[in-house]
Amino acid sequence: MTSSYPRPEVIPLESSPLPERRIETIGDGVQATLVSAGVVPVTGLRLVVHAGSADVPEGMTWLDRYVHDYLMEGTEALEAGAFASALAELGGHLSVSGDEHTTTLSTEVPSEHATEAVELLVSAARTPRFPDGSAERLRDDLHRSRAVVSTQPGWLAHAAFRNALYAGHPYGTVLPTDEQIEAFTTDAARGFWEARAGGPNVRFMVAGMFDGDAILESANRALSGWSGAPAPAVSPPSTSSSRVVHYVERPGAEQSTLQLGLRVPAPGHEDYVPLEVLNSLLGGSFYSRITLNIREDKGYTYSPRSAISSRPGDAYWAESADVTTNVTGASIREILGEIERLRSEPPSEDELRGIINYVSGTFVLRQATPGGILNHLEFLDLHGLDTSYSANYVARVRDVTPEEIQRLAQQYLDPAAMPIVVVGDRAQVEEQVAEFGSPA
Amino acid sequence: MAQANTSGGFALDVPVQRHRLDNGLRVVLSEDHSAPIACIAVYYHVGMRLEPPGRTGFAHLFEHLMFQGSQNLGKMELVRHVQQNGGTLNGSTRYDFTNYFEVMPSNAIDLALWMEADRMRGPVITQAELDNQRDVVKNEIRVNVLNRPYGSFPWLEMQERAFENWHNSHNGYGDMADLDAASLEDVQAFFDAYYSPANAVLVVVGDLDSEETLALAKRYFEDIPAATPPAPADLTEPRQEEERRWSYTDPLANRPALAVSYHVPPSGTPEYYAMGLLNELLAEGQDSLLHAELVEKRALTGDVEGDLNFLGHMHNAQTPLLWTTTMMHDTDVTPDALIEGIDAVLEGVRSTAQSEATLKRLRSKARSGLLRTMAEGGYPRFGIADLLASFELLEGDASRINELDARFAAVTPEVLLATAQEYLRPTNRNILVLEAGVAE
Repeated sequence: MTSSYPRPEVIPLESSPLPERRIETIGDGVQATLVSAGVVPVTGLRLVVHAGSADVPEGMTWLDRYVHDYLMEGTEALEAGAFASALAELGGHLSVSGDEHTTTLSTEVPSEHATEAVELLVSAARTPRFPDGSAERLRDDLHRSRAVVSTQPGWLAHAAFRNALYAGHPYGTVLPTDEQIEAFTTDAARGFWEARAGGPNVRFMVAGMFDGDAILESANRALSGWSGAPAPAVSPPSTSSSRVVHYVERPGAEQSTLQLGLRVPAPGHEDYVPLEVLNSLLGGSFYSRITLNIREDKGYTYSPRSAISSRPGDAYWAESADVTTNVTGASIREILGEIERLRSEPPSEDELRGIINYVSGTFVLRQATPGGILNHLEFLDLHGLDTSYSANYVARVRDVTPEEIQRLAQQYLDPAAMPIVVVGDRAQVEEQVAEFGSPA
Repeated sequence: MAQANTSGGFALDVPVQRHRLDNGLRVVLSEDHSAPIACIAVYYHVGMRLEPPGRTGFAHLFEHLMFQGSQNLGKMELVRHVQQNGGTLNGSTRYDFTNYFEVMPSNAIDLALWMEADRMRGPVITQAELDNQRDVVKNEIRVNVLNRPYGSFPWLEMQERAFENWHNSHNGYGDMADLDAASLEDVQAFFDAYYSPANAVLVVVGDLDSEETLALAKRYFEDIPAATPPAPADLTEPRQEEERRWSYTDPLANRPALAVSYHVPPSGTPEYYAMGLLNELLAEGQDSLLHAELVEKRALTGDVEGDLNFLGHMHNAQTPLLWTTTMMHDTDVTPDALIEGIDAVLEGVRSTAQSEATLKRLRSKARSGLLRTMAEGGYPRFGIADLLASFELLEGDASRINELDARFAAVTPEVLLATAQEYLRPTNRNILVLEAGVAE
């Protein structure tokens, strides 16, 4: 019953060329990027506008979400239902999402309908209807969303952690109050959108199978005459953090939802790519140190993970885990212990080589689907990076050394500066957690 | 895969090669040379429906154990080899099957096949590894169900009530007591019953040479001893003859929710595809009838969702299944107000045939959803691999993936109307009310 064949050796691929990008300026200064990919006849279309949650007036947290919802309420030419039907006839539906500095309108359609879908997608951004009759219903939807996310442990941890890192800055507030939502008006939504949407503040991105010339012609026609001023440059926050424990009460919770970490250099900084390697080694992959420890060795949790979250000129590293309540303190001890271990000794050549292969290999994997490509294009645009970032990425990853990983851990992952968020049953866990910091 | 057809569009024609090894293992290959990557997947024809009574959750626990070691791979070594060669992996347990897959650079197909063959020979694990993964699985259930509002809504709560047959109705995530009772003897018995070559399908999609890949599959898998595949279980459900209604309180939720489920027509019939189109008509997207009625017109909820499979989509499970529509709402909206709105819509759909133009839109949506699944699928190349494996396991022929366009095209307005009349009748309906246990 034993296999008679030895484990095959893998001969590394010489190179994995990324799909080529076609970049053009269309309309009134809209940058268009097109990437052919895959063999499934589908086209992903995105229109990215440089306007996000950090751009709303003070005290109007989630106004950007109100705008997202309003962008689904039809165009000057078509009421909401008629717009949705027209796009559905082409096989598409509109999605609107966003982050701190962008709003993205997207749809995916069978390739034969891509050219027609461009026109509808642009109209949703350029001539939204903003029907005042929808104002109250959309506010009610946001009230309900706010209520529901306020009971989700992951959201509560995220909100508390953001506040610990960015108090006083828009990045630090991710949940509004009901009073704030109640003050949203159609005019506020329209005003926010019209001040930013248009011209050089817009990006058009296409990936999948398509006829590029036809798409560009259609997009150029739809976008021309839509002008706007470039968005002001983003100035990153200047906040710092310290080791304090932030509790969010959930009496009776069977698990504690943990988040801990701190700000690190952002994409574009020379240490950013090596930090991605460090992250994959420490907690950002299945075969990472923290995951092997608190999941595969101890069984404290199901899906521990670390990640780097970024905005222009700003980023943070964080480990998140939902752990059984009675091992809350033990889990924090192991996580901090893995960070300390990386600071005190470099990883072995073997361990690092494996992680380097993982990071470079999965980078190539992500460039193999329309969605993966579009996400990467959005990342580059957000951080003001160009094609050379992608072209040089794998080479930079391969250059990382064990000493560099240790140096990065020492320089950037100072446990004394890491706030710890614990969402859970405070009465049960406070004693376990006390040794890791005082309550905020 | 896509070729320009006579009307200038893109036809869908997935290349499919099928083989059967001497021990009964089916091998399905599909070439796609657009990027140097591949998805290697093994599907076993056993899922939550077939786990033994008294061992709920066992199929899923077993899936976890398949990562804990086999004859030539120690605990987590498979994960390490995948990562260190630039790939990623996962596994999942569904109603009818359990899958294990790697997405790798194409130079690692050889290694991935060798590893999957090694674990097809059986897990080699200790009591400590069983105990560890039991803890991990319990934490998975806590994070996804017990410690999260709406965690069992509607899938676990609805299937337990709407189905009569234990195979379909029981909690496939598992009762904690059943998980505690699972032993190494259970592991061996489950493996012996279900994890044999003739009860499995190997699928490889991507940048592969078919001849070479088939030769590798034979080399590694063909000497795994054959075993008689298990007899199929009786999954049948009685015809439902009267409407049923239940309510329960979710102690973590602060807003109520409603789910309404109907038993659907048998897999593979024209009526089943009509049900897929009825889902598009009623509950998919902002052009859907329930969205227009409940969201826009009556403002009772912010979003209506619909699906035919709680753990996937209509093409990767076999009936009995439920078509379910769900919505969250405010406390001042009663479930009966929502049901009245649903009835108004369904009465129309059950009394008047849809136009050809509407049907065309519904087919366009269904086809587009399928293309998106193929192009993205969560992991590169996994979407197609999943469909191929599902068709091979559930219908006995992977190449039927290319019949989907025709199956949707065959649904006439008359079939759609008849399907609505029989399957959307009030006596086939199950209503589940979630009451919010958290007051604001």
